[in-house]
Amino acid sequence: MLKKLLLVAAALVILVGLFAGCVFIGLFEKSVVAKDIEQPLSVDQMKALAERGAYVAVAADCYACHTAKDGAPWAGGLPFATPFGTLYATNISPDKENGIGSWTRAEFHRAVRDGIGRRGHLFPAMPYASYRNMTPEDVDAVYAYLMTRAPMNVPNKPAELTFPFNIRQGLTFWNLFNLPGSAASADAARSETWNRGRYLTDALAHCGECHTPRNLLMGMRQDAYLQGALLEGVVAPDITKAGLTQMGFEPSVLASFMKSGISNQGAMANQMFEVVHFSTQYMSRDDLNALSAYLFDLDKMPDSTIPPEPPKPVAIASDVAASAKTTYVAVCSGCHGADGQGIPHVVVPLTTNTSLRLSSGRNLIRAVLDGIPAQHFPGLERMQPMPGFKTLLTDQQVADLANWLRASWGGQEPKVTLDDVRQTRLDN
Amino acid sequence: MTIATKKLSLTINDQAVGPIDVPEAMMMQDFLYEYLNLTASRMGCGQGICHACTIIVEKDDGALEETRTCIMGAHWFAGKKVRTVEGHAKRDATGAIVALSPVQQAFIEHFSFQCGYCTPGFVTGATVLMDQLKRNPIRREELEPTIVEALDRHICRCSGYVRYLEAVRDLILQTPGLVKA
Ligand code: FES
Ligand code: FES
Repeated sequence: MLKKLLLVAAALVILVGLFAGCVFIGLFEKSVVAKDIEQPLSVDQMKALAERGAYVAVAADCYACHTAKDGAPWAGGLPFATPFGTLYATNISPDKENGIGSWTRAEFHRAVRDGIGRRGHLFPAMPYASYRNMTPEDVDAVYAYLMTRAPMNVPNKPAELTFPFNIRQGLTFWNLFNLPGSAASADAARSETWNRGRYLTDALAHCGECHTPRNLLMGMRQDAYLQGALLEGVVAPDITKAGLTQMGFEPSVLASFMKSGISNQGAMANQMFEVVHFSTQYMSRDDLNALSAYLFDLDKMPDSTIPPEPPKPVAIASDVAASAKTTYVAVCSGCHGADGQGIPHVVVPLTTNTSLRLSSGRNLIRAVLDGIPAQHFPGLERMQPMPGFKTLLTDQQVADLANWLRASWGGQEPKVTLDDVRQTRLDN
Repeated sequence: MTIATKKLSLTINDQAVGPIDVPEAMMMQDFLYEYLNLTASRMGCGQGICHACTIIVEKDDGALEETRTCIMGAHWFAGKKVRTVEGHAKRDATGAIVALSPVQQAFIEHFSFQCGYCTPGFVTGATVLMDQLKRNPIRREELEPTIVEALDRHICRCSGYVRYLEAVRDLILQTPGLVKA
């Protein structure tokens, strides 16, 4: 009997081992790159594609990650801190030695859509799980466009990952669980606008990479699609219809917010500021409308706009309110106004601010502690820096302030704790 | 209509002030101007950008901190020790000025300002910087970047900044103990 059990166990171990081996060597990996992509593009085709490629690359926000701060354009080098170590974006300028200058069309497609580059598997910091849904035409266009850029002779920085995460081939396991087998196809039941919006959201703009929470394996949790996630210490909010409505958006305001980065709901900050700066401000009106319609799950933009009901104030203990009002008058009202109305073109209003309406108080606490740097927005809009108050206010003052602001103007239960403030301080 | 007020007491230029009834929502700058006739800190932008309105807060350990008065409520300063630009020069028992502060003197000698609107802010900023260097001296090669970083936030519309920079640099170099050998 025991012998039998042992035999079964041994067989199981061997089977699992075999299976793992098969995964590891990539037997289960499915390429979505069709055979005909092996055919190189002609010079004329490349020329014809490059212009549209510039737009696709902007919508896919390639530049923001593939250019280090003050670094050479498209030459990579931007660091990505992950729990497993630091990765660096790669040089995708057409430099033959360091960039993609000698990559074939098919190699480029496989990198973008399968996550397999010339030197092996890419790390999923490159959002290939999203780009997998890009059309071959769009990938061709980006390829053609990148080849028209100036080659940058800048070597790639090797990834600094801990074992075993530094084994690129190990990503076959990640891909097995997190990379869809095929690209999404259009939903015939929905309008062209909705489908375009989904394509922009899921494939090009890869919104889910930040706004969809991740599972234990760091893959996007499809059961919580776009429902918001915590990343780099701030909340990437819920951008489903429910979440957007809670923040005070309606479709047309959202579309203009993506264009300008500023609305009554506040000014884009953190990573979203860069998304507007490098990407969405250049998107066409039609695309922004499609994106917005899709996020609100509409087949077309509504003809009239009905702003969501303002949140109802929530009652708050009088001692908390007293402490918060004292702080507010002393350090906030000088800019945001005694009634939270802000100053047009100078300081955002608080009464309609999304940070007060999110379910989590994290972003508000973060802004109070660290402030927000001065930012130039599209057109002539500028926002002066917001000072940080981490040395001026105690944890208790910050918690009271956050609770009072969120309860009075954001309609949120006063559930920010001292610990939340402490934790936010530590996370910096 | 009545405006809600609150009692305010603080120390300004080594003198105890208050308790005075001050409107709850009044900004420090207005309090200094309207209640105490201390008008040296300038109202430039009123939005926390130009730093013409700054004053010094003396912390418990003696360290100095620069604070904008246009965006900070008067009651924020309750119980604190502050120094306005009126409190920098040396005065005799009658209150007459007998000597400018070293920073003020340096700005005059270097012709640092033209219209002078920004000058109180620069005097405040440079004085705080000198205090910081006394506590944490820096190396010579760090000096210019340190001055720029400390005073960069002060906006001047006339002078071109260079003579402010030179004045502060020369003063720091002449003052023993601020720059490491
Ligand atoms: S007046 Fe206070 S910063 Fe400009
Ligand atoms: S001297 Fe005129 S603003 Fe500075």
